[in-house]
Parts: sequence; C-alpha cells; structure tokens
Amino acid sequence: MRNRLVLLFLAVLAGVAVVAGASARPTATPPLTIYAGASLTEAFKTLDPAQNYSFGGSNALETQIRNGAPVDVFASAAPLNTQRLFSAGLVEKPVTFTANRLALIVPKSNPAGIQSVYDLRSKPVKLVVAAPAVPVGGYTLTVLRKMGLSSVLGKIVSRESDVKAVTGKVALGQADAGFVYVTDARAVSDQVTVVRIPAWAQPRVRYEVAVVTRSTNKVAARAWIKVLLGTKGQTALRNAGFLPIPKSTS
Amino acid sequence: MTVRDETERAAPARERRRIDRRRFLIASAGGLAVAGVHAPAASAATDDDLAYGNFGLAAEFLASDYYARALQGAKLDAAVRPALRRGRAVAGLHARTFSEMLAGAGDAPAASEDFTFEWPSGTFATAARTRSTGLVMLRAMLGAYQGASVGASAQYRTLFASVAASTAQQIGSLAPTAGAIEPFPVALDLEAASAALESFLG
Repeated sequence: MRNRLVLLFLAVLAGVAVVAGASARPTATPPLTIYAGASLTEAFKTLDPAQNYSFGGSNALETQIRNGAPVDVFASAAPLNTQRLFSAGLVEKPVTFTANRLALIVPKSNPAGIQSVYDLRSKPVKLVVAAPAVPVGGYTLTVLRKMGLSSVLGKIVSRESDVKAVTGKVALGQADAGFVYVTDARAVSDQVTVVRIPAWAQPRVRYEVAVVTRSTNKVAARAWIKVLLGTKGQTALRNAGFLPIPKSTS
Repeated sequence: MTVRDETERAAPARERRRIDRRRFLIASAGGLAVAGVHAPAASAATDDDLAYGNFGLAAEFLASDYYARALQGAKLDAAVRPALRRGRAVAGLHARTFSEMLAGAGDAPAASEDFTFEWPSGTFATAARTRSTGLVMLRAMLGAYQGASVGASAQYRTLFASVAASTAQQIGSLAPTAGAIEPFPVALDLEAASAALESFLG
C-alpha cells in the first residue's frame, strides 16, 4: 500500500513537472509573412531566417497586397510603393530603414570591354535592365538621364521583373551589362565585375517598411520592424552592403 | 539766352545723368552678383545640359564643404580667409542656380545630404595640403564648366561660362602668390572631370 502511495506521488510529481515544463517553454509565435523587395533577400534571411518571406519586384508585391494577399510586413525598395499603399489605407505609416546605390555590372569575361558607364554609349552592348515600374528599373532611367546617356536605352535587349533577374542574366553571360543595386552585385561578386556609377549621378534610393493594415499579427509585425531599425537589423543591412538610414529621408 | 549758355547750363545735367547711369549700371551689376546667375527656363534641356547640371550641383556642394573645412582647419593665412568665405558663399549660389536649372527641367535636384564627402586623411592639416586639394577640386570643376560652355545647348552656355569664370576667380584666390604659374585651364569632358572628383564625392 505504502509502495503504491509512493508510486502515485511520484506519478503526480512527474505530471506536474511535465505541465510546468511545457508552460515554461516560450510560446511559439507563428512566423510573420513578410513581402520584401528582391534586393533584400540575403540581408533579411541573414537577419531572421525564421520568418516567411516573399521576395520580388516591389511593384508586383504592392499589387498583391492591394489584391488582398495575407501579409504582415511590406518592405519596399522605393517609397512610392509603400506611400501609395499608405494613401489607400492598406499599410500603417511607412518608415525609411535603409538606402542603397546603383552599379553597372558586367560578366567577369567582359566580352564588350566595358570599363566605364560612358562605354555604353560608344560600344555595341547587349544591356539588360529591370522594367520601368520596378524600383531598380526606374532608378536606372534616372541614372542614365543624370549622366546624359539616355541614348543607350536603344541597347536594351531585355527588361526584367526584378533586380535578381537582371543580376542573373549578367552573371550567366546572357547580357554584356546590367544595372543593379550595389548589394546585388556584391552577392555575385565572383561572377561579375562592378563598374562604378559616380556619386553625382546616383538616384536617391530609399527603402521603406510598413505593417500591413490587414495583418492579424500586428504586435509581432511592429516588433519585427523595431528589430530591423535597431542595431541588429542595421548591422545585418550594413554587412550586406546597404547604407545607413539617410539623414534626409525626403 | 544764347546757345552757349544753354549748353553750359545743360552740361552739369548731362554729367549728372552720366553719373546716374554709371551708378545704375554698377548697382545692377552688384545686384546680379548678389542674386547670382539665374538659370534660364529649362523647357528643352538636353541630356547633356542635365548631365552638366547634375555634375555641377554635386561639385558645388563639394566645394562648399571644402571651404567650410578649410575655414575650420584654419591653416591658411588670415589673408586668405575672406576668399574662403567668399568661395563658400559663391559655391552656395552656384548650387542654387544648378538646382533651379534641374528643377525647371522637371528633375528632382540632389541635396547636400545626399553626398558623403570624403577628404583624404590630413587634407586640412597643413596650409599646403589645404591649398593643393582645393586647387585639384576647383581645376576639375573649371574644366567641366569650360566643357559645358561649349557642349551644352545654346540656352545654357552663358550660364556655364559665367560659372566657369567665377570658378577661375576662386582658383586665383587660392593659388599661391609665389611659385608655379597657374596652368592654362583645360576643358574636360564629364567623364574626366567626374574621375578627378571621384575620390572626394564618395
């Protein structure tokens, strides 16, 4: 009888321990669904691999959010996309979280012999760019206009849906040159050579992030943005080649 | 009253009018100098016009930063300091002019905050380094403006020529009073001028 009582006591004790152990474990929060510009792929995956990401052209992602996609956070490569959604009441007030610069990339073999952006004007080149509605495509047009090189638009052989597609085509040698972000060039630095674009011709590339209004997990979404804006997030972005939050975010 | 009397009486009036006209011209010239060279309406700015304008805007922001640091460094003779202050003011004026030009053409002009100016270590540590760095910068700018005064469309040539003249004045103020003779200014295309300033413009 006494042995039975001891066994019962131990069983109850073990049960209490199991319950206590379970309640002490951190509550598993469901991963956030984050839509982000393709150029943020490496940086975001490094910063927080636990979330569900969908990377692509910010314009396409904006359209998906408009169409009701279940998203918690939207990080865009251009303020235009987030601001339009904000005006429509589809995201909370966006904040700038980083900046970037453009570069011209050529394959390592450099078949067209491009040493300077100005060579695009004088040499026969197969140029690949992103479509004008894609942020990097719009920025490319700005660079060419600022440098007085709009004439090279006639050398475009392909307009891609996002910056990764441009990078891929150049890296694979399917084009002689392409305009991408410095951060994307860095990600394939073993396959491409970077041709610098002068500072005076650089567009103002600003990234914005916002909580999507329809999100069912706004508290976690806001917390995630806080991390992105904090030291951890900014360090991950800097390590990927992004620029710090600009003083002037206008 | 004789004709001679009338002539004699009219002479002071003519003199007064001459003096007034001279004063007016001087005042007008002064006014223009204060107001700066205004960019003409840029309804039909070409690609090259905009490229020169964008380069000029960044270069003038750079020059403004240079003058501020040179003043702060205080290594140049006290006699040069007024020229540095004038240089800073003129750079601001030029920047405003290029900004107006670009905005008039429908572009979003850059702001000074868009640039990270990078000066080699020790640039402002001695008078000689301060002076030589300033001259490298200003000569590249002058070369670009000279190129622009030929390469830009007719409506902007006077603007770029005026800015070139003003930049040459700054070079004169900064150049050492003794020593090597200032080289004959060479017109540069944008690629060459841009390469010359690349290390400073980040």
